[in-house]
Amino acid sequence: MNSADQSHNFATAGLPAETVGDVHVDHPRMTARNVDVFYGDKQAIDNVTLDIGEKQVISFIGPSGCGKSTFLRCLNRMNDTIDICRITGEIALDGQNIYDPKIDVVPLRARVGMVFQKPNPFPKSIFDNVAYGPRIHGIATSKDELNDIVESSLERAGLWNEVKDRLHQPGTGLSGGQQQRLCIARAIAVSPEVILMDEPCSALDPIATAKIEELIAELSSEYTIVIVTHSMQQAARVSQRTAYFHLGKLVEVGNTDQIFTNPQHEMTNNYITGRFG
Amino acid sequence: MSDVTKGRISPDVAASRVAAGLAARRSKEKRFQLYGKIAIGIALAFLVTLFVSIFSKGIPGFFQHYVTLEVTLDRAKLDPAGDLSVQSLYDGDARGVIRKALYEATGASGRSGRKAAGKIISGGAEQRLREAVLNDPSILDTTQSMTFAVDDDVDSFLRGFIKRETPEKDRRINDRMIGYIDTLTEQGLISFQFSDYLIFGSASRNAEMAGIFGALIGSILTLAVCLVLSFPMGVATAVYLEEFAPKNRVTELIEININNLAAVPSVVFGILGLAIFIGIFGMPRSIPLIGGVVLALMTLPTIIISSRAAIRAVPPSIRDAALGVGASRMQTMLHHVVPLAMPGMLTGTIIGMAQALGETAPLLMIGMVAFIVDVPGSVTDPGTVLPVQIFMWADFAERMFVLKTSAAIMVLLAFLILMNAAAIIIRKKLERRW
Ligand SMILES: Nc1ncnc2c1ncn2[C@@H]1O[C@H](COP(=O)(O)OP(=O)(O)OP(=O)(O)O)[C@@H](O)[C@H]1O
Ligand SMILES: [Mg+2]
Repeated sequence: MNSADQSHNFATAGLPAETVGDVHVDHPRMTARNVDVFYGDKQAIDNVTLDIGEKQVISFIGPSGCGKSTFLRCLNRMNDTIDICRITGEIALDGQNIYDPKIDVVPLRARVGMVFQKPNPFPKSIFDNVAYGPRIHGIATSKDELNDIVESSLERAGLWNEVKDRLHQPGTGLSGGQQQRLCIARAIAVSPEVILMDEPCSALDPIATAKIEELIAELSSEYTIVIVTHSMQQAARVSQRTAYFHLGKLVEVGNTDQIFTNPQHEMTNNYITGRFG
Repeated sequence: MSDVTKGRISPDVAASRVAAGLAARRSKEKRFQLYGKIAIGIALAFLVTLFVSIFSKGIPGFFQHYVTLEVTLDRAKLDPAGDLSVQSLYDGDARGVIRKALYEATGASGRSGRKAAGKIISGGAEQRLREAVLNDPSILDTTQSMTFAVDDDVDSFLRGFIKRETPEKDRRINDRMIGYIDTLTEQGLISFQFSDYLIFGSASRNAEMAGIFGALIGSILTLAVCLVLSFPMGVATAVYLEEFAPKNRVTELIEININNLAAVPSVVFGILGLAIFIGIFGMPRSIPLIGGVVLALMTLPTIIISSRAAIRAVPPSIRDAALGVGASRMQTMLHHVVPLAMPGMLTGTIIGMAQALGETAPLLMIGMVAFIVDVPGSVTDPGTVLPVQIFMWADFAERMFVLKTSAAIMVLLAFLILMNAAAIIIRKKLERRW
């Protein structure tokens, strides 16, 4: 980890022993308790406790390498694919521990969907991209229903009008922003409860970004959304709560307004005022 | 802050230093290109030499001399039982009928004259005649003009390999025969045609009748067995090792062994096949089934290694995408990774197959070198394969065998090129961008 230059940057500030702000919410959809994550011997997440509120957008911010993606990927067990990754503590979805050995990751990932930093449509048609999830989970009971699911997913992802005439052309032939919206459509096609987004706009231009942000705002009435972002403005625009990570610790969490106007911890303050990060 | 200037070089100085090195850099580049061109030139020269030598010998091998005779197809002689059965035709005197036509055409008379004339025509002529009658019995009791291959010595004479000037006792064709051949030539009865024996004939001691058909079928059957065994097994192994196998001592050992297996001389696989399938299981020798199994063992490492490389080349983002919507690992593999890796896997398989097609040594070990006249009808019929056939022919001294060997090599090469071209086309066609 590039901890050396980072600690150099803010020698004045120290990591807090406990997270500043209220990690709990009234109606949590997901709860993380004392989560530690290790890659081999290296600790990437250190004792993080956090609630993710139902039908809320929460954004994770923090300097590069602080563990935002790592923590996000714990929420739908995508870290299982990394051999050296080890997780302790408890993460629950609707009160049920998702790391329980009895839990099957397949339905879990259907309930907690994910959108990645780089748009990654399958090299298949636009239709098949969106239909893939419903197909493998057997969500649609008929062909018509599947068509409807695809249409409404693309509609909600704000892509329908652009692609309705070329549903059977490859998804990889779309522009970057369209591809990302296709990936969002693919994620919502399986009707997840929670959507995890890891820097979904980092590869997009401002117009595509604005579209996705609009989309997030719309989706937040139905879904619980966790978004990782490097853009403070984006966090401020789309999220109700914001969590600030640093060196694997959750430094501060609170309502987005409060975090950006009146941060409690000095490190948070330094970060959002652009003094480092 | 004082040592900030230490490593700094002013742009002017830097530019002048770059310029100083530029000439050397360019000439180095030029020299390197030259080496490359020389290497390619040498390789091409070898290739051209190879092709010229094979083609110059091989193309004449596709042709041979035939003689056309007016044959009176006397039913009483050809079909003594009168029922057109194979047995009856074999009992009949096809040879006598052909000889008669031959004596008439050459004007041969007397015991020694007839003996000499009889040697002009191939021993396979009778079979030709019987087949013609079987195909179309209505030609019986008519006079037909029929074409038969000439004996291979006569063919060599006609090609000029046996010289007229050579003293009679030193050549395989006596003066009488030469006289008859001249008579036939003058009448325009001798022709130089595409050799149907080469393509549709099987192993034969008579050079003029020898062909590659049996070996070709043997090769196809052997390769089919090899493909059916090695492709699914290789792909399954690759998928398991890449995606599911735990990384521990055992799988590491397996991996090392697979890589080593690729370097084992092929004859060793033949010994293995001999010891296990023929020795222990007591299966018959010379059959394409065992040949295919042995070749499959040999091709497996190639397929596994190339399939693993192909799987590894599939971008992890595709895996993430599939897992992210809740596909199981199995579904991720079958729906996304394997289809995307398929072009690479197929390329590896075809190249493995091409290797197997050209393989001789392991098949010699399991006895696919036997002299088998019948064309194998199934994988359990004894047979041989193209490269082994070539190997056997190369042993014969007859001029015609030399020519046919080269022709057979050309056929083998054509198949190899075809397979490699198929590999390239598949790769180009199926390759997808993501
Ligand atoms: N697969 C891995 N193996 C080993 N270490 C890893 C792996 N993935 C991440 N890490 C380490 O874990 C730490 C946290 O990484 P993570 O990707 O979560 O950071 P991040 O906050 O998402 O950074 P960024 O903003 O740059 O995406 C980093 O130090 C990183 O080097
Ligand atoms: Mg990240």
